[in-house]
Amino acid sequence: MERATVNINGGLRRLARLGGFSLSLLLVLLLSGSGCGPARGAGGGEDTLTIGAYSVVREAFREKILPGFAAHWKKTTGRQVRFEESYNASGAQSRAIVSGFDADVAVLSLDGDIERLVKAGLVAKDWKSGPHRGLITRSIVVIGVRPGNPAKIGDWSDLARPGLGVLYPDPKTSGGARWNINAIYGAGLLHNPKAPDPDAARDLLSRVQANVVNMDSSGRQSMATFERGTGDAVVTYENELLLQDKRKGSQAPYVVPETTLQIEGPAAIVEASVKRHGNREVAVAFLDYLRSEEAQRHLAEYGFRPLDPRLEPPGRRPLPARLFTMKDLGGWSKINKEVYDPGGVWDQLFTQAKGRNR
Amino acid sequence: MSRRSPTGRAPADLLLRGVALSYLALMVVLPLAALSVQAATPGVAAFWKHLTNPFAWHALKLTFATAFIMVLINAVMGTATAWVLVRYDFPGKGVMNALIDVPFAVPTVVTGLMLVALYGPSSVLGSFLGRHGWGVIYQQPGIVLALLFVSYPFVIRSVQPVLLEMDPAEEEAAATLGAGAITTFRRITFPTLWPAILTGTALAFSRALGEFGSVVMVAGNRPLETKTGPMYIFGEIESGNRDGAMVVSVVLLACSLGILIILNRLQHRGRPVHGR
Repeated sequence: MERATVNINGGLRRLARLGGFSLSLLLVLLLSGSGCGPARGAGGGEDTLTIGAYSVVREAFREKILPGFAAHWKKTTGRQVRFEESYNASGAQSRAIVSGFDADVAVLSLDGDIERLVKAGLVAKDWKSGPHRGLITRSIVVIGVRPGNPAKIGDWSDLARPGLGVLYPDPKTSGGARWNINAIYGAGLLHNPKAPDPDAARDLLSRVQANVVNMDSSGRQSMATFERGTGDAVVTYENELLLQDKRKGSQAPYVVPETTLQIEGPAAIVEASVKRHGNREVAVAFLDYLRSEEAQRHLAEYGFRPLDPRLEPPGRRPLPARLFTMKDLGGWSKINKEVYDPGGVWDQLFTQAKGRNR
Repeated sequence: MSRRSPTGRAPADLLLRGVALSYLALMVVLPLAALSVQAATPGVAAFWKHLTNPFAWHALKLTFATAFIMVLINAVMGTATAWVLVRYDFPGKGVMNALIDVPFAVPTVVTGLMLVALYGPSSVLGSFLGRHGWGVIYQQPGIVLALLFVSYPFVIRSVQPVLLEMDPAEEEAAATLGAGAITTFRRITFPTLWPAILTGTALAFSRALGEFGSVVMVAGNRPLETKTGPMYIFGEIESGNRDGAMVVSVVLLACSLGILIILNRLQHRGRPVHGR
């Protein structure tokens, strides 16, 4: 290309210049990126904490929890803390951390997503041994209804009435959807507290599923579909509805079924990341702060149920008569195997319904 | 296709060719190869097991069935639209011509939202149809509707230029010899148009096999009912069944690729007939 005679060579040269420009741009970006790196956890009076959280806690974290912790950290240690935050669907966030996102603290929507990190060797096996079994938030599974509850929905069995339109997300794509489905399944299973009844559980779930209009890929999208006017009822988390209320200043009507599931949101330290960043101390302090009275009040303000019932904000609905936990159902691994594994109850709902139709 | 480059300087020529080929390899061949390797890794028995899983099989069948219905409608309506655009003059023709490409420009998720707003159970039209037992959104017809929208331009845009170039003398001659409009179309026009119609429908079909964004909004996502192949793939990846997802991906991909290869062959065979 030494003697540029034809326009193609000129073009190539322009291209080379463009390439050189973008290469130098990339280099600048890389350098500036690595420039912040060494500052974290090292001296200089500033700590950096990377948070990988699920989307539902975003508002609470941004507006209250992170500023609250920064003030708390400043007061106790005299040091600044800088946050790097990422919010994503719980499962996607968990997978991102496994594939190399170096979050120091993982705040996810269910144990399974933390267990994935344990399996990858990133989180300590005994992450549930601390206070509150690794949990930071609670909520309950409820039924969102139309204003005035025109469909007269009071309990899970009402969702099984023929002709009703029900919404919940797809448990294949939304880990959080498993809370919703477990609530229905569990209500059937535990209808007689003395003897768990798997047949009743399966029957209730299959009759509700027959009314399901659309399964969105996430809980948030399911709510959006409901708000656009589809369906008579949406199975969702109480905190999701209360958060919408806070945001919109409205009061979305919802029903608390007599028997429902307690949702438990976990958080854990990603040992592999804090080891690399040398900031375990601030990560531990952050997890402790999340369980402090101040943080629990903030979280309650954003719709969650506090770990300590005494911190319940005034005006919150009383908890249902029979509130069960995943432990009452036999734990996540038992339910995952029984319901969601290939050929489990969830798959059978469809294969058997298909058989009945024919 | 091996024509001499008009610029003719060998080093630049070679460089350009190398760049183009590496670009193709990097953007298309490598990802395809990676996918094929991943799908093939578990072995033939596992492949067969994942393929014959009732959920995967139904999703594939649904994808092909809805795509097939879509191309039937598009072949007829697309040809008719191209015909109107080429053969008639009317006010607003320019606007209509521009509107045709809009479905390509709209993000597919937005397409889904539009269709839900228009035909959804809470819309005027949707509730009217629903009351008469014609559920569209969150039912199988919704899938066909979404596919029709996203693949709308294909047939029109491949038939239109052929119609434009067509010599009206042949049709006029047929008419002079006493052939009716239908006979003229069947004997004269259609034989010239069919390769273009086929090209358009085949492109639309391959596009439909992979369509996700709009379909996921309108289909309802119910297994064994309204869950298409791409939605099945998404669900299985999200729930950790990568192998199952890969198998369905590879089947969809192989079909698209097969269609495009056959199409290329047909076009080559068709070429001398058109004297091009």
